[in-house]
Amino acid sequence: MKATFPHLGNVYLGVKALFDGLGIDYVIPPQNSDHALNIGTRHSPDEICLPFKIMIGNYMQAVEEGADTVILTGSCGPCRFGEYCELQMNLMKSLGYDLKFIVLDMPKDIGIKELFNRLSIIGSSSKKSRLQKLRAVKTAVQIMHLLDETEALAHYLAGYERNKGQCKSLLHRCRREAMKCSDPQEMLSLIKEYKKRIEYVPVDINKDPVKIAIIGEIYTVIEPYSNFCIEDKLMDYGVSTKRGMTPSWWLKNMALSPLKINSLDIKKASRKYLSLEIGGHARECIGEAILSWKEGFDGAIQIYPLGCMPEIVSKSILPAISRDYDFPIMSLVVDDMTGEAGFITRLEAFIDLLERRRDNVLFGS
Amino acid sequence: MKVGIPKGLLYCKYHPFLVTFFGELGAEVIVSEDTNKNIFDAGIKYCVDDACLPVKIFHGHVNFLKDKCDLVVIPRIMQLWKNEYICPKFCGLPEMVLNNLNGLPPAITDPIYATSWKNLYSWAQKSGNLLGKNNRQIKVAFNKAIEAQKNHKTGIDDEGYEIKIALTGHPYNIYDKFLNMNLVKKINNLGMGIRTAEFTQEDILAREADNLYKRPFWTFVRENYGFALNSAKEKKVDGIIYVSSFNCGTDSVIIELIKNGLPDFPFLILKIDEHTGEAGINTRIEAFRDMLERRLFNESHISTLG
Repeated sequence: MKATFPHLGNVYLGVKALFDGLGIDYVIPPQNSDHALNIGTRHSPDEICLPFKIMIGNYMQAVEEGADTVILTGSCGPCRFGEYCELQMNLMKSLGYDLKFIVLDMPKDIGIKELFNRLSIIGSSSKKSRLQKLRAVKTAVQIMHLLDETEALAHYLAGYERNKGQCKSLLHRCRREAMKCSDPQEMLSLIKEYKKRIEYVPVDINKDPVKIAIIGEIYTVIEPYSNFCIEDKLMDYGVSTKRGMTPSWWLKNMALSPLKINSLDIKKASRKYLSLEIGGHARECIGEAILSWKEGFDGAIQIYPLGCMPEIVSKSILPAISRDYDFPIMSLVVDDMTGEAGFITRLEAFIDLLERRRDNVLFGS
Repeated sequence: MKVGIPKGLLYCKYHPFLVTFFGELGAEVIVSEDTNKNIFDAGIKYCVDDACLPVKIFHGHVNFLKDKCDLVVIPRIMQLWKNEYICPKFCGLPEMVLNNLNGLPPAITDPIYATSWKNLYSWAQKSGNLLGKNNRQIKVAFNKAIEAQKNHKTGIDDEGYEIKIALTGHPYNIYDKFLNMNLVKKINNLGMGIRTAEFTQEDILAREADNLYKRPFWTFVRENYGFALNSAKEKKVDGIIYVSSFNCGTDSVIIELIKNGLPDFPFLILKIDEHTGEAGINTRIEAFRDMLERRLFNESHISTLG
């Protein structure tokens, strides 16, 4: 078995550590690019959302490098993501690829036995002992958490740094070097070291940068290619950003959801506007908008792929939040036709707006 | 008390229940007009631009009712069957409407889980309490409403046409004459009979859907996919027309599933949005009919010499 998986932000590093630890052969698809999107768009259904198209591109590029099994998470929420596995299986088959899919669904939908069956397909190709396997999983989860913390730290400190671009370059170097590690423990200590280095980046605490929260659909928020590296761009502008949606948040949320004690703060914050789980991460989007207002952020940017059903509902609600809390929120829609220049213009205009709101520029009015 | 019921989305299927229930409770039931130009335009004006056309039209209906009633019913249909949803937009419909429209009267927005009588009754109880009725009155009205709903049959199954097609899609796209530009009549005028999903039994639909790798979690996947595959396999129809609204998330999946299940069966997809021109729709249906006609009656008469 030569496993592969679709890209989602920095998840590839966590999965790399996991497979290295388990001793399973794997292929990491080339980083998302226009090429991946183009081949994905060519073969995907027209109206499906953007993540599907990029993922198809990932698979096809991974197959060229010898992958034969795709590992994918599933869901049975009312959002389209749950149907991805079925459509992608059919699509890859009709294109003549002999790809096996292992779909990891929630136990309440497929039964705990079936989930263990599917997990054991992955586990059986590893020659490590059970203890070593558990240890590999633990290290991978640790790496995921650490990576997300490091990223969040860099994104936040970017607004305060004295030497412009230091956080960004450290973060990129961290990812590049982590990719070269072949041992999970080595990767763990490397990321720890980079986290420390980012913590010690010289900052100017007298600065008061514009702070923006990134909210919206989980894939387009996490995956930098799909949102034109919005976080890197904001780092360049000297804006502090925060993003609640991270792979490690998702892991924790999934693990706690059967007990219904997942993301209590978000549930509490969103209760006034959206009291029910409607699928996708609409509720998280609403909750995070309110939480970031409470934390003193200047504004929020919602990003979602065209036609995303849950986010359309939250887009309807966000203007009400914006009005009630006097909190600017911008919605950006991405799909395979989005032009980068238009995207940047809107982003810059939004930052200008936030800056000018701060020091009241309405002289004489 | 005047209770307003918008004539949008699944009203076409469940109106006997809603109208009887609130009527029996002693409320004056006001139903919005059939979709017309004004309702259509208001819906497009107030709704977020990304939403699909039926949701926009629903906004128009609520807008029509807002000055005419004291209480408006916005059915938040979560589940009609166990573990099956309709669509995220249905789950968040009240939020969309309440935030997009201003000056609305109070609304009934409690979630409807129609998976069992008991679950449905808990919705009825909450709504009845809002109208100030006691449990006994609610129970009586609820039972009458269920009776009315059971006696109500929807669906089209035309006889006596030489070509028969399956008309699939969400019920509100099929039965809203303004939204689909009187599609049913158009198809009939071209000499094609229509069959809709209501005439296929639930267990047959479920059996077809069981062949899928993943258990469908949308009611319309099971209904439309099961119906399309079953009627094609059992040769009940000669072709399938799928009416879909632009940007419909569930349809983007269902259409692909049907295409995979029926690779060599005549299948026409009509996409409808607020810019759709009637002439384009006419042309496509006529062309589809011509194709079916050739396929059914003339195929063997075409000279192999060209």
